[in-house]
This record gives sequence, structure tokens and C-alpha cells, in this order.
Amino acid sequence: MELILKLLNDAFFSAIPAVGFAMVFNVPKRFLPYCAIAGALGHSCRTLLLHFNLPIEWATFIAAALVGLVTIGFAKRHLAPPLMYAVAAIIPMIPGTYAFNTVIALVQLTAQSEISAELTSAVISNGLKTVFILGALSVGLAMPSLLYFRSRPVI
Amino acid sequence: MYADTQNDITRQVVRVAQLLLAYGAESELVEEISQRLGHALGLASVEISISSNSLVLTSLVHGRCITTTRRIREHGINMTIICELQRICLLTEKGLYGIREVRKRVSRIEPKTYPKRYLVPMIGLSCASFCHLFGGDVAACFITFIASSIGMFVRLSIAKHHFNLLLNFAVTAFVTTLIAQIGYHFDLTDTPKLPMAASVLMLVPGFPMINAISDMVKGHLSVGISRWGHATLLTVSSVIGITISMQLGGLLL
Repeated sequence: MELILKLLNDAFFSAIPAVGFAMVFNVPKRFLPYCAIAGALGHSCRTLLLHFNLPIEWATFIAAALVGLVTIGFAKRHLAPPLMYAVAAIIPMIPGTYAFNTVIALVQLTAQSEISAELTSAVISNGLKTVFILGALSVGLAMPSLLYFRSRPVI
Repeated sequence: MYADTQNDITRQVVRVAQLLLAYGAESELVEEISQRLGHALGLASVEISISSNSLVLTSLVHGRCITTTRRIREHGINMTIICELQRICLLTEKGLYGIREVRKRVSRIEPKTYPKRYLVPMIGLSCASFCHLFGGDVAACFITFIASSIGMFVRLSIAKHHFNLLLNFAVTAFVTTLIAQIGYHFDLTDTPKLPMAASVLMLVPGFPMINAISDMVKGHLSVGISRWGHATLLTVSSVIGITISMQLGGLLL
């Protein structure tokens, strides 16, 4: 029960950024609800997988693949490019805090006169997480077209 | 096919490709749409070469080639236009549109954006939800909402005057962080770090990064790398803004 509540909370609060950023990317108004659905589905799928102690990179990869699959379904129905829904939908999963911590530690490192082990490890671990999560996101998103739509167009 | 017809078709196809690139489509989509549109309008083949800021297209029909180059200026991401161009391509492929209709519809395309009064509160709400997802309390979410709304307002106002995008991001990050750090200076929230991390998330160049990696994965390495470089520059310039404002607030040693 607690898990379901957590997932619902997650789905709701990741649908809002999906719509917000879809508006920044000027997605037409009639497609905004689909961006919200895809965003909520992706982020709550990731939370569910994280709940079962999967590493965040793999959870992100699977969630992004799910988003890719769902958005191809939307794209076929509306004859619109699938990336239009997908990019707005994965915005809530972008590793913003990791990226933020990386660059803040990097700036602190430049300000200091000698290299500190603590800051260096913060830069390396946060930076690696950022890069790998980003990679997992975009490769996961491309998964349906890499595996299934190899030689024919999606729509 | 007469020579001037080929000229005309090539011009329309290259115009479509140029618009797609300028409004932020990935290279694979640009190549696919321009080739399909060319075939549908009767060209034997369309070959396209994309670099970071220009585009070369060659059309072949009856052993006669036309090669043309276009310069591309980034216009920011606009999915409405990309959607419209894709639809034109599909309708032409089904035989509903000829060259005349394509020309008419392409010339009618105009970038429409959402008005500021919707965008600003929506981005504020988005960043507040990020803060909530990271585990911030209600006060932290409220600070994030205020900071990112004001930040988005600044960003749109600067963008209206056609300043350099890097400058825009630095100034926006500066203003946003300046407001977001009030949690540190006044005892408002138990999680003063989260508003700072969440409110600058609106500056993360998510679309260019995803486009860059998906270009590189699909074999358009040079375009992908240049997009990645652009996204990195944007991130670095917003970091500069964040740093200056944190130093002003005395949060960096």
C-alpha cells in the first residue's frame, strides 16, 4: 500500500515537469497530455525498479526503454515524431542533482590551493553517475528503433 | 522531368531539411524525412550531408544532379514545426500533396511559442516538483517555485532581445541561484540545499544532450559531437552564473 502511494505521488509529480518542459519545447497543445502520461509512466517505473534495489543506471535504462516503446505507440496513432513525446517525458529522469554536485565540487576544487581527496572523489563519482545515467537514458530511448525498427521508418 | 521542376523540388526538400535542423530535429529524422519527401515528389535519389552549422543536399533524377548548400542558424527547439513538417512528408507520400501544396504549406510555417504567462508558472511548478521528488519540504518547494519562476521570466526576457544563449544562461543561473539560496540565510527550511539544485534544473540542456547522444549512436558522429559540445558549453556557462552567485552569498569557500 505504501509502495502504491509512493508510486502515485511519483507519477503525479513527474507529470508536471514533463508538461512544463514540453511547453518549453513548444509541443502542440493537443499532445501535452500524452507527454504527461509518458513522463509519469517512465519515472514511476524507475522508482519501482529502484525499490527492488536495482542500480540507478539500469533502472533508468529500462524506464527509458519503456518510454521509448510507449511513445512509439503514441507516434503511430498521431503521426508525429516519437522524440517529441519522449524527450519531454524523460526530463524528470535527467540526473540534474548529480550534474549539479559534480560541477559545484569541481569549482570548489579550483578554488583550493591543493587537491583534496574528498572533493576529487565527489567529482569523479558524481560525474560518472551523470554520464552513465544520461547514456542510459538516450540509448534506452533509442532501443525500440535499434532492435525493432531497424530498416523501416517508425511512421 | 524538366530541369526547372527538379530545381523547384530540390529547393522545397532542402528548405524542409533546413527548417528541421534549425528547430532541433535529430539528424536521422532530417535525413529520413528529406529522402522520403524527395522520393514522393519524384526524385530518383536524395543524398544529404549534415555538419554542425550547414547542410549540403544533392538530388538526382534522369542522370542529372543538383547540389545545393544551406547555412543553418539555430532557432531553439520547436516541436510544432517538426510535427508539421513530418505531416507534410507523410501526406506527400500518400499522394495527397504535390509540389504546389508542399510549397504553400512550407511557406506558411511560422514559429509559434507558448505565451510567457503560461510558461513562467509552469516551469516554476516543474522545478518545485523536482524539489519535492528530491525530498524537499514544503518551504523548500515554495522557494524553488519563486526562484525558478523569476529565473524563467529573466530567461525569456533576455531571449527576446536576441542576446547570446551562453550569456543568457549565465545571467539566468545567477539570478535563480541568488533567490534560491535564501534558505541558507534565513531559517526557512530544513533542506536549504535542495532549492538550489532543483531550481537550476530548468537550465539543463536536456534536449541537445539527448539529441547529441542519439545522433552519435545512430552514426552521425560529427553532428553529435558538435551538439554535445554546445550542450557542455551551456552547462559550463550556467555553472559560472551559479558560482558567482554562491560566492556573493558566501556559500563557497
